[in-house]
Amino acid sequence: MADFVQLLVSGVSQGMIYALLAVAYNITFSTSRTINFAIGNLLMMGGVVGFSLYIDMKTGQPLGRSFIIPFMGVLVVGSILGAFINKFAVEPSRRMKSEYGSALATLAVGIVLRNLVERRWSTDDYKFLSPVGDSPIRIFGAGVYPQEVLIIAASIFIVVALETFKSKTVLGRSIQAISEDRVTASLMGINPGFIVGFSFILSAMIAGVAGLLVAPITLVSATMGTVIGIKAYAVSIIGGLESGYGTIVGGIILGLCEVFTARFISSGYKDTTGFVFLILIILLRPNGIFGRKVVRKV
Amino acid sequence: MRKSLLGGRLSWLVFLIPMILPLVTKNTYYVHGILCQIFVFTILVTALDIIMGYLGDISLGHAGFFAVGAYAVAILTTTQELNAEGTLKFLPQLSFSAALIIAIVICAGVGAVLSFPSLRLSGDYLAATTIAYGMIIHTVINESENLTNGTKGINVPPLKLFGLVVEENHFLWVVYPVMLAVMWMVRNLAKSFWGRAFEAIKHSSIAAECCGVSRAKYKVSGFALSAALAGLAGGLFAHQDNYIGTATFSLDLSILLVIALVLGGVRSTLGNFIGMFLVVSLPDFFTGLKDYRLVAFGIVLLLTLFFLPNGLAGLFRRLTSRLFPAKDLTEFQQDIAARAANDKSPLFTSRPSNGDLVLNIQNVRKKFGGVTAVDKLDLKVRRGSIHGLMGPNGSGKSTTVNLITGLYPPSEGSIQLFDANVAKLSTARRSAKGISRTFQNLQLFGELTVLDNVLVGLHQSFKATLLSVLLSLPDTRKEEREMQVRAYRLLKFVGLEKQAFETASSLSYGQARRLEIARALGVNPTLLLLDEPAAGFSATEILELNEVIKKIKAEGIAILLIEHHMDMLLEVSDELTCLDFGRTIASGSPKEVQNSPKVMEAYLGTQTEGVTA
Repeated sequence: MADFVQLLVSGVSQGMIYALLAVAYNITFSTSRTINFAIGNLLMMGGVVGFSLYIDMKTGQPLGRSFIIPFMGVLVVGSILGAFINKFAVEPSRRMKSEYGSALATLAVGIVLRNLVERRWSTDDYKFLSPVGDSPIRIFGAGVYPQEVLIIAASIFIVVALETFKSKTVLGRSIQAISEDRVTASLMGINPGFIVGFSFILSAMIAGVAGLLVAPITLVSATMGTVIGIKAYAVSIIGGLESGYGTIVGGIILGLCEVFTARFISSGYKDTTGFVFLILIILLRPNGIFGRKVVRKV
Repeated sequence: MRKSLLGGRLSWLVFLIPMILPLVTKNTYYVHGILCQIFVFTILVTALDIIMGYLGDISLGHAGFFAVGAYAVAILTTTQELNAEGTLKFLPQLSFSAALIIAIVICAGVGAVLSFPSLRLSGDYLAATTIAYGMIIHTVINESENLTNGTKGINVPPLKLFGLVVEENHFLWVVYPVMLAVMWMVRNLAKSFWGRAFEAIKHSSIAAECCGVSRAKYKVSGFALSAALAGLAGGLFAHQDNYIGTATFSLDLSILLVIALVLGGVRSTLGNFIGMFLVVSLPDFFTGLKDYRLVAFGIVLLLTLFFLPNGLAGLFRRLTSRLFPAKDLTEFQQDIAARAANDKSPLFTSRPSNGDLVLNIQNVRKKFGGVTAVDKLDLKVRRGSIHGLMGPNGSGKSTTVNLITGLYPPSEGSIQLFDANVAKLSTARRSAKGISRTFQNLQLFGELTVLDNVLVGLHQSFKATLLSVLLSLPDTRKEEREMQVRAYRLLKFVGLEKQAFETASSLSYGQARRLEIARALGVNPTLLLLDEPAAGFSATEILELNEVIKKIKAEGIAILLIEHHMDMLLEVSDELTCLDFGRTIASGSPKEVQNSPKVMEAYLGTQTEGVTA
């Protein structure tokens, strides 16, 4: 039982990180119809920036600052990077009309970020002490880390807030309008360029926050985002574009599958679950769960 | 011209120069360390070019195939002594050549299996899938310690060929000829009907299928071939350092391959080499760059994508075409024209068949959800006759063509070509049986030349095997030349021979419509479906088109002609059918249909309606 609860909590908290990244994928996909392959490295940037502002790299101890500072730092860096990716990778590839332009361009930005962090910061792994403490709480005899609870609570809060934003505010509805029909929305006076740019900023901030949240339960390093970013893409497809809540379900499914694979099969194959998931989901739902099947006219 | 530029027939001797290197220098760092690595990786980029350049798909998992090839050779040849501390259990200790062949076969199999996502996906979805399978392969190798030694890697015995040990710089004598051979074979492939099939699928897989090019077959083969070459590169790589470890085969390697390909320029073997040469050698020449190489290459990729979409090879081609503008007609073009003028053999060969009834559609219905697009359709088309099909917009004409060619499966009813029911066959199979079509919305292969477009139509007539294509055997070259002549004659048939060597996208609208017909005729059809061939035509152009259609009819080909131009239908049709809301409202001789009250009603409305409206 204790074992089970422990697996459950760590699976769900891991899944919530996927859900956050999936939401980050979906926002920009809905406005620009492209996949931002730099998302994983944006998560990494969140982890690294948060770490640098909160922990002393030499001693590994907190600098004694309020957690607000790394949080704000991550939001600022995230928004700058989001705007940058949109301006220098996505917008030019839209003009190119090449099928793979945006995939390769965002991938390029991703590896540039990673390499810069490796060189300017470090190639090592660092422990990020959790702001809510690193001693487990006992629930049903299981040891649950406070950070895991924080991840679950914060992620649900972010997803709910984002959904409310999308349905209740003018800006949020503009995002949905652009995602439904770019041309009609722009005829209604919505500036698509602005909305796409805004969605990339929002998306990058969410990815950065996800990095800040996940850092204490993994380790902070320049490569921490690569694998997680790809697995979260699977969740983004399972979850569906229309509903942010869908990504929570998708995230939980993947998170649980992973911890159970690691526990009962082999920890080395933990990541493979996500990759197999990705291939199967994409193959079985070629238009994604959100896509309607369109009959091609000839 | 070009010949004198490169020094005539002996110009190929240039390629031998690198072979001297091991004799004149003992510098292993540059020759063995850098140059041999470039040669091995160039094979990998050339393999990737098949998928990205020719098939127009993407693979961000090619490091995976490379790894499979390298590990296969390493596992099959290594010994216990070399890996004393390892966990290797399976040690067959085969010879290098046997191991390499097995590695290539395994990789081809893996490539064929992993090609299936590309049959259903494109764009970002496919990119993500390929990343995933690259990573799966990487994980499996890391985790299968008994087979691969896990993260410790495998020490490989020195390369032995024909009893001789190949070491250090002499490795160049193995990898360089292999690289040249691979480049040569991929070039041969690209210039053959295989290459055209790849490009046709890339531009319009529907049009390709209608020309008899099976999308599934060529995609699976293309991936298998590419993976096999990547496996070959991997097998050679195992002997680059006589050690392999999993760290080499990461996602970063896959990305670097794509960067080399894009930078060098797709669909250019020279570009493949230059791209890889820069990717390997630049960090070495600028040592400051070494640590920042991913930053540098990331930026290079962005700049290339946006400012040099065809890579360095594209830039080079643009410059040479400006410096040496093409003459009016090259020798090759004159030769084709001369042969075409002398060739008096029949342009269309009759297919074995019984009876005159070419197409017999009975009681066919097609539903899209709740909408019945075609309902209880009966249609017969006879040999050497023209059956007109008319009807207002949305009456089901194009749906009928799509049903006959197999782009849509019918909800019910039978579609017979002569006596055989074809309703269950794929589009490509139906094309092989002689059903051919043109498209209402033009579906030409824009980047190919006009002649090559028709050659795609002739695809089914090619008999050469893949091996003979790769090796460009004399028979294959002869066949290619014969087909070029036939394609040229088909262009002449529709009056387009002057444009034969231009790219299809540069044609005027009317010429493009004719090219559609010429390409459809390449299939050697028994039944030709013309879907609004005169859309947007002027009256004179229609008259010219009428002549072409009558000529096709005279060849004994059955034609189903869909048109809105009433005068044209009345002029050429032998029989006429009029559809409205998916139902046949009139059928018979053109005069009867023209005067049918129902037809007038469908087009003009009834008089009472006219008054009230």
